[in-house]
Amino acid sequence: MSVALAVAVGGLFAVGTFLLLQRDLVRVVLGVAVVSQATFVYLIAMGGIDEGTGDLVPVLEVHGGGVPEVADPVVQALVLTAIVISLGTTALALVLSYRAYEENESMDVTEWKP
Amino acid sequence: MRTTARVTVPIVLVVSISLFLQGHNLPGGGFIGGVLTAAAFVLIYVAHDLDYLESGVLGREVEAGTSVFEHRTVTAYRRTLLAGLVIVLGSGFAGLLVGDPFLTQGYVHLEGVPIYHEVELASALAFDLGVYLVVVGSLLTIVSVVSAE
Amino acid sequence: MAPDLTIVTTAVALPFVAAALSPLLYRVLGERTGYAGAAVAAASFGLLATGIGSYGTVGVPWIPALDVGAQFTVDGWGLLFALLASGIGVLVFVYSAAYMHGEAGLARYYAALLAFMGSILGVALASDLVFVFLFWELTSLCSFVLIGHHTDDDESRYSARMAMVVTVGGGLCLLAGVLMLAAAARGALGGATFDLTAMIANDEAMRAALRESGLFVPALGLIVVAAAAKSAQVPLHFWLPNAMVAPTPVSAFLHSATMVKVGVYFLGRVRPLLMSPEWVSLVATLGLLTMTVGALLAVAATDTKELLAYSTASHLGLMVAGFGFDIVYGGEAGAFHLLNHALFKAPLFLVAGIVVHEAGTRKLDDLGGLWRELPVTAAVTAVAALSMAGIPPFNGFYSKELLFEAAYEVAHEAGGIAWLYPVVATLASVLTVVYSIKFLALFFGERRAPVADVHRPPIAMVAPPAVLAVAAVVVSLAPQLAVDGIVQGAVEATATGEARLEVGLPTHLSPPVAMSAVAVIGGFAAYPLRERLAAGINRGVDAPIPVRPSGWYDRIVSTAAPTSARFGSAVHDGLLRTYVGWVAAAGSLFALAGFAAAGASLGAGGVGGVRVPLAVAVVLGVATLAGVAVATASSHVSGVLTLSILGFMLAIFFILASAPDLALTQLVVETLVLLVFLLVLQRLPSFYSDVRPLAIARDAAVSILVGATAFVSVLLTIPRPDAEPTSVATYYTEQAIPGGGGSNVVNVILVDFRAFDTLGELLVVTIAAIAILVLVTMRTRGETVTEGDEEAVLDGGESP
Repeated sequence: MSVALAVAVGGLFAVGTFLLLQRDLVRVVLGVAVVSQATFVYLIAMGGIDEGTGDLVPVLEVHGGGVPEVADPVVQALVLTAIVISLGTTALALVLSYRAYEENESMDVTEWKP
Repeated sequence: MRTTARVTVPIVLVVSISLFLQGHNLPGGGFIGGVLTAAAFVLIYVAHDLDYLESGVLGREVEAGTSVFEHRTVTAYRRTLLAGLVIVLGSGFAGLLVGDPFLTQGYVHLEGVPIYHEVELASALAFDLGVYLVVVGSLLTIVSVVSAE
Repeated sequence: MAPDLTIVTTAVALPFVAAALSPLLYRVLGERTGYAGAAVAAASFGLLATGIGSYGTVGVPWIPALDVGAQFTVDGWGLLFALLASGIGVLVFVYSAAYMHGEAGLARYYAALLAFMGSILGVALASDLVFVFLFWELTSLCSFVLIGHHTDDDESRYSARMAMVVTVGGGLCLLAGVLMLAAAARGALGGATFDLTAMIANDEAMRAALRESGLFVPALGLIVVAAAAKSAQVPLHFWLPNAMVAPTPVSAFLHSATMVKVGVYFLGRVRPLLMSPEWVSLVATLGLLTMTVGALLAVAATDTKELLAYSTASHLGLMVAGFGFDIVYGGEAGAFHLLNHALFKAPLFLVAGIVVHEAGTRKLDDLGGLWRELPVTAAVTAVAALSMAGIPPFNGFYSKELLFEAAYEVAHEAGGIAWLYPVVATLASVLTVVYSIKFLALFFGERRAPVADVHRPPIAMVAPPAVLAVAAVVVSLAPQLAVDGIVQGAVEATATGEARLEVGLPTHLSPPVAMSAVAVIGGFAAYPLRERLAAGINRGVDAPIPVRPSGWYDRIVSTAAPTSARFGSAVHDGLLRTYVGWVAAAGSLFALAGFAAAGASLGAGGVGGVRVPLAVAVVLGVATLAGVAVATASSHVSGVLTLSILGFMLAIFFILASAPDLALTQLVVETLVLLVFLLVLQRLPSFYSDVRPLAIARDAAVSILVGATAFVSVLLTIPRPDAEPTSVATYYTEQAIPGGGGSNVVNVILVDFRAFDTLGELLVVTIAAIAILVLVTMRTRGETVTEGDEEAVLDGGESP
């Protein structure tokens, strides 16, 4: 079944790349967003996914007991920051393309003045 | 819409702050709290407009025609951002004073505090506060600048 | 007795220090800098001469992890070469001071010449292969500067570039060969090392290791190509005659006595290491071929320096052939001829310089009978030219005789086609006699000169060739003296077994003596036919491209330039999307090729890897479909909305993957992203580029490639279902409460264990916010300033 993960990551990366290669700037930004989403899934997949129940949430019982087996917290920490950063960068890319549109009066990257 | 906002915004704000506070032990933390707080403010923007925060909530006069950059709330957001960074760095350098490496965190275990019976005071909370402020400040700067356009 | 590291290092470093100081020296001394250079060379010579007899290896470690060190091995072979270089260096500096009188760019000239001398000493004495390579390339670099001394001359630039391309290209082959040797040393000597001395000491183990890994023939081939490029062996000989545009002292020093011998020197150095049947057939054949072709071209030459250049290539071929034969005589011929050739060829070049300086031309046809005006020079030339021709009892005869003996013995032993070796060697020697007489004819016979009044050259120009000629006479009269002094040590260092060099005039008729006799008599007999010979050779040279390597060089260079320009404009067309396409496609191909090369099998994590719950599969399926919908959306708004579907699906995925923090954040962030998108989109036109099937197909192909790479990577890297959590994850989980005081492991990692990373991430977000703020406010300010002001602001911002 890990094929499902692989298909999702592969598919999202393919879609993201396709969008990145477009002439329309907004679609390029969409592509950036899609590629970052694909990266989240990839990172989480690297941590391994088990049958999801509450036991696996990486929140320990408060101060006591042994260390239970939990989902990989490292990738979660990575993805958590990645999500916030992707928001920042997506917004930046959008505003940049908006400004670029204002300067060049076109959304088509091939029509820009050199 | 405005009615919904009036009801939900306080709830969202409270939830976000509680998420931030409990973050060390339960799901939550500076990032989530910050994002949620930002969402609450954005809800106000969507329901009203950029000036509502000042005129409606704080009861100030809004000077018309100023650019976004000089806008009071935006300035406030930038200050929030700055304060967050200062706290983050400060909590990092604090460790240096007692001889620990940069960004080392410690915690104190307090007992006998009313209601909670026992409370842990982690210096990481200060760091998390910085994270929270930075996230709130920057996201709101982004949204308000963009929406002002 | 081991040599003293300080002495050796000083001898090598001194010229470099002097080179760095030469602009200053030039300012103080002016044209007398040449004498300062001579003093430096003499100092190096003196330091090295103290090392005669005390052979050994000294060094200091530099990169111990790779066993690279500044290691010098002083033995007869290295010392012979180093003494030759510094000794001739003294004479060339003295000569330069007179010859380069009134030339421009002398500071650069002396700096390059000094640096060159230091590099040659480095090549000769270094026994660490990394250092050998370093000095090797430095000699090429200095040669480039010196050949291109007349920077305003097109031909000079062309020749310098050609020499650079050929010799540095050869240097790269050397690097590859050196790496192969180092790789073999890992197995043979128990550890990666670049220590050539250790390799030679364990030559059998090295050969076995090389053969075992199948690298023997490639390493041998690469090293021979490197040496051939440096030592102007056919078919890479064409740069040497072109290099003659350099000032004559440079030609005498670099292109006859030292730099071109670096290849020969290195072949002699690795001869004990790589001796094998392949070595013999490759190196001996290459040497004899060059010897013949060089001699042919020298006979056809019309210019003094051109004649000497081709004859140098021919004699280098003689040395290479000597080292090629797996027989005692062969190594002796190579080592002894290295000395003899330097002693007769350097004065000949210096004489050619005198002639062009005083008579004003290099054309052989315009010159003759100069002995009346230049008696000393004529005497020097007589000694050197007869030595070059191999006439007994001059010194060139002894080493040539050794080669004849080697060729004859090898042929006698192997029989059959090996008889070509002595035949070709004899033929080349006949031609050598012809062109030697041709050069000598400058001074004798009918008086011809374009200028009526040929001056006496200054003493500083006559003395250096005279000193060398005297040395040649000494070696001629008492060859055993030179042998005992240093050549014996050189022979031992390059020999594959025991070797005891005995030289002297032959006392009875043996086949090699007969070969010498044939060569001399044949040469004198053929001399009157030289015009016809030259005409025949020229017909061959003017034949279509295939027989002219320089034609190949021109063709390659002239097609490479426009091709790379076209390639550049195809790949770098200024559009980011083109760059992205190339980078993505190439990156994916490399990654896939890497997986294939590493023999990764999809079964590793594979189909049976992580068991993904059905719910997760469904959510991911919807997310992927949403992704496809984003790509096919017909308007911006629908694209953004489907992007949100993708985002929310991922939030559910996070919940299913036991990550509530992520899910919460993702939900809120997705809302904000949607909002920002919609806010911006309402100000943008709903432009969608016209559909061009070809472009779409191309983009789709790249995307599918990227997707496939991601697909394969996931399958390969995903952990097995029964895999233990990584040690990092376990450590953080265990330490969360005792170390961080929190039970939310994710949060503890963020604010405690990896707080520094989080700080960096916060900075990213901050910078994004500030950048957006500035982008918007800059625009409102930009409206009030003119374009010129804006540029001024930008420029001001960039300058430090």
